[in-house]
Amino acid sequence: MNTAQKLVEQIKAQQIAPRPQWHYTALNWAVWLGFGLVVLTGALAFSIILFTIQQVDFQLLQHMQHSWLEGLLSLMPLFWIGFLALALLLSMYTLRYSERGYKLTLAHLAGYSAAFSILLGTAFFISGGAQQLEQAFAIRVDLYQSVQEKKEQIWSMPEAGYLGGTIISVTPEAFQLEDFGGLIWTIDYANADWPPRIQLKPGEQIKLKGEQRGPTDFSASFIRPWGGQPMNGNAPQMRLKE
Amino acid sequence: MLIASKICEELTDQEVVARALQEVDYFSCLYQRYEPSLRRYVQHMTGAGPTGAEDILQDAFIKIWRNLRAYNPKMKLSSWMYRIVHNEAISALRKQNAFGKNKTVDWADAEPMLLRTLLSEVEAADEDRISTQQLRQWVQELPLKYREIVLLRYFEELDYEAISDVLQIPEGTVATRLNRARKALEKAAKP
Repeated sequence: MNTAQKLVEQIKAQQIAPRPQWHYTALNWAVWLGFGLVVLTGALAFSIILFTIQQVDFQLLQHMQHSWLEGLLSLMPLFWIGFLALALLLSMYTLRYSERGYKLTLAHLAGYSAAFSILLGTAFFISGGAQQLEQAFAIRVDLYQSVQEKKEQIWSMPEAGYLGGTIISVTPEAFQLEDFGGLIWTIDYANADWPPRIQLKPGEQIKLKGEQRGPTDFSASFIRPWGGQPMNGNAPQMRLKE
Repeated sequence: MLIASKICEELTDQEVVARALQEVDYFSCLYQRYEPSLRRYVQHMTGAGPTGAEDILQDAFIKIWRNLRAYNPKMKLSSWMYRIVHNEAISALRKQNAFGKNKTVDWADAEPMLLRTLLSEVEAADEDRISTQQLRQWVQELPLKYREIVLLRYFEELDYEAISDVLQIPEGTVATRLNRARKALEKAAKP
């Protein structure tokens, strides 16, 4: 009996059967599903990073008591940047172990993984999903909440001319605004400048620069959306909480 | 019942795979077709003698049989089989090293002509001065990741794409490692 015959006899004797096709199909799907999930997670992290960066008032950083870098690091979503990096590494790993993944160089693996996460994340950010996700995290995650807290703190200084909050009602002469402490303010906006994207309608979150005229009276010179870019003009001179 | 060699020869690799999945006897065709080159590769990789190489090859062929449905026809069947045999050989080599049995590679059946091809590609090497035996020694002393590339390229005569499929690395990496292997040989060849 030659070796080929011995091999076949061994297969028959031990009743060794080829693994079923579904086994490989399932494995292949599992790898791609894993890749998809990791890319999706990375995309969500990227969209939140975009949203958080949009929230940072960069012009304010130079007025903080600590250094610019320290201030930036305190406001940057480091958790999400780390999370995105981890997601990218995992997506590169899963892509590498896909059926033909070994053909891709490290640069290709990184490029494809990053491109998918960035594209999906940007789409999610543009669609407004990141804001909703951010709000959900603001409730549940302490670290993220602190970023919001700092922003609210900056725009809760009416005596320095900076006020933020939610519009309650609007009349042609003035509107009422509830600040982050729950105090209701009457805002005179007759001489204020605001971009077209601000609709001045109840429920809208905004930030104002102007002058405090009374205990709950404020005259606005500039109105900007809460989530938009910082205002023109001088930034508030304030101390962040230690 | 062993399939006659003549019948095996008339079938393509894909046909053999398809028939083997219906009737296991056809699997012997693959063994007959690839056993000589795969055995040589196992011997060069592990330094195993004929019996040891046959054991490794038997285990590898059982794995090939068990995973026959995983074979993707987009790839050459030979590359896919080399991959499984390579992994089995590496596994055997690790076990061998773990037990402190460092064997000397048996190069007896290495084609001197292939070694000469390798030598001609090593810059600054004096082909007349360097003996085949010497070159074999240098190849044997190469780190595993370079030795396996040299073996696949110069002994099994696989192209870059096939080597990439066997070792599951990008073709660019194949080229880089091969170049480094040549440089290492070049360094050894300098008088």
